[in-house]
Amino acid sequence: MKVLIADDDAVSRTLLQRYLEKWGYEVTAADGGQEAWGLYQQNPYPVVISDWMMPDLDGPELVRRIRSGQWQIYTFIILLSARSEKEDVVTGMEAGADDFITKPFDQEELRVRIRAGERVVTLERSLAEQNRMLRETQAALVQSEKMASLGRLASGMAHEINNPITSVLNNLAVLHRDTEGVLAILDVYRQGITALEQCAPELACEARRLEKEKDLAFFYNNLGKITDGMRKGLMRIRNIVHNLADFAHLDEAERKEVDINAALASVAQILQHDLSAKDLRLDADFQPLPMLWGQPSKLNQVFLNLLVNAIQACEPQGTISLRTRAEDGWVIVEIEDNGVGIAVADLPHIFEPFFTTKPVGEGTGLGLAVSYGIVRDHGGLIAASSEPGKGSTFCVRLPVAGSRPNEKHS
Amino acid sequence: MTKPPILLVDDEPDILFSLRGLLRLEFDLLTAESGSDALAILAQQPVHVILTDQRMPQMTGAQLLEQVQAKYPDVVRIMLTGYADIKAVIDAVNRGHIHRYLAKPIDPDDLLEILREACTLYQREVSRKELLLEMREYLSRTREVLSPAADGHAEVHSLVERAGEMLNRIHSLDTSK
Repeated sequence: MKVLIADDDAVSRTLLQRYLEKWGYEVTAADGGQEAWGLYQQNPYPVVISDWMMPDLDGPELVRRIRSGQWQIYTFIILLSARSEKEDVVTGMEAGADDFITKPFDQEELRVRIRAGERVVTLERSLAEQNRMLRETQAALVQSEKMASLGRLASGMAHEINNPITSVLNNLAVLHRDTEGVLAILDVYRQGITALEQCAPELACEARRLEKEKDLAFFYNNLGKITDGMRKGLMRIRNIVHNLADFAHLDEAERKEVDINAALASVAQILQHDLSAKDLRLDADFQPLPMLWGQPSKLNQVFLNLLVNAIQACEPQGTISLRTRAEDGWVIVEIEDNGVGIAVADLPHIFEPFFTTKPVGEGTGLGLAVSYGIVRDHGGLIAASSEPGKGSTFCVRLPVAGSRPNEKHS
Repeated sequence: MTKPPILLVDDEPDILFSLRGLLRLEFDLLTAESGSDALAILAQQPVHVILTDQRMPQMTGAQLLEQVQAKYPDVVRIMLTGYADIKAVIDAVNRGHIHRYLAKPIDPDDLLEILREACTLYQREVSRKELLLEMREYLSRTREVLSPAADGHAEVHSLVERAGEMLNRIHSLDTSK
């Protein structure tokens, strides 16, 4: 453990240093408070032993300075002093010192007091580490729980929406077909209009008036357009629901061996037109990869989503990098662009369904949510980092072995 | 020509109504709002195709079709299903209880086409069985005609017996699956 000594008296300083080194500490010695403060600021020490009386910067002041800063670690501070009055101890401890040793010090006492300090520092370190891990675990837990409940919501919603869509779709088809039938019948009647004029002129006149008032011609000409528009709208709803269900749960698409490099290459091929339309450069760095067990079409969908996003984020003549590598049983895919980046406030939400920054109507906000679901169902992880104005990097990690299911037929 | 009878099963009356509107011109429609109602109808009248929802209270579509398969093997069985039921459907397909499954919402034109095909399938299956029966009768009549003239027709007898064996083989192929 590193120890910083501050003492203006060369004899006492050397003595201290020799003892501490004998006990296995890594010692830095400063000849005064000022030098010690400079050293501490460069690199905080876990243990500081400081003399009280020093001409440039005395012990209590050094203690106060150390305590008033925000440091990564806790420092255990021992004050050394010839002054052993009770109020001195109080002053020193009040400044923030942890312990107090009177000069001339007893070697054994110094040893055990430093040991005690070391215990405190070690304890504090492990607490901080545990605290950090706890915070990370909690954040990951909150995130995964949030996505899971969104998934359940989406799946239930998809199911519930499909029923009404089914009956509306059927009824619309009935309406279209039977209205065509009605119009055909009407046609036959209209052919008899001259006969009607002769035997019932007032009826014929009324028919003509109504035809005009209701603009029958428009309906004749546009029935197909009207029902077709409704049909297309329903199909869009159906697709959204479909995507939502995809996010919530993979359908049982076939699993087989997947060559991720080949998948990326084919996706890049598909998007060649979009790339050249914006004059973008695509840098590919594909390392040899083991085959994965997964759903090729679903994984293609993930890479397509990510690459389309990257293309959209880029300014003309921008650059997109595709990188793959294998690492400890994982296949890692990175898609980096030097485009507009993602706002800091948006970054935590980008994998949530319906989160979109595109203008209304231009994106459903499901692309990344679906990708998240697919990667998760492959036992993998997807993460994004971004700097607004500089670009974004999406990283997909897929397990080589973990995703291979053994309950293929349950 | 008479319309083929089709039984529609769904616990949602709205869906049944919309299906009735869509299918009424081409098919003779029977509807049931539960699995047990459907079985009661099947016991009373012939049905060529049954189209059922999977998710229903009490009896699921898969359970219903399992019973239909056991009691009325000729009826062509089709299941309509939402997204969350995929597992039940796969199970039902693998166990041979259904001919086809359709994901909701299905395109109305596709549904019509699929039901037409199903009716054709039923018709073909039934005609094939009738034809087999007819051949069986024809053979036994042939045996009767041949039997008084016992001698001199050994070759004809063995030919007739071989035809009988072939019919048995076709029959056993049908029943083994």
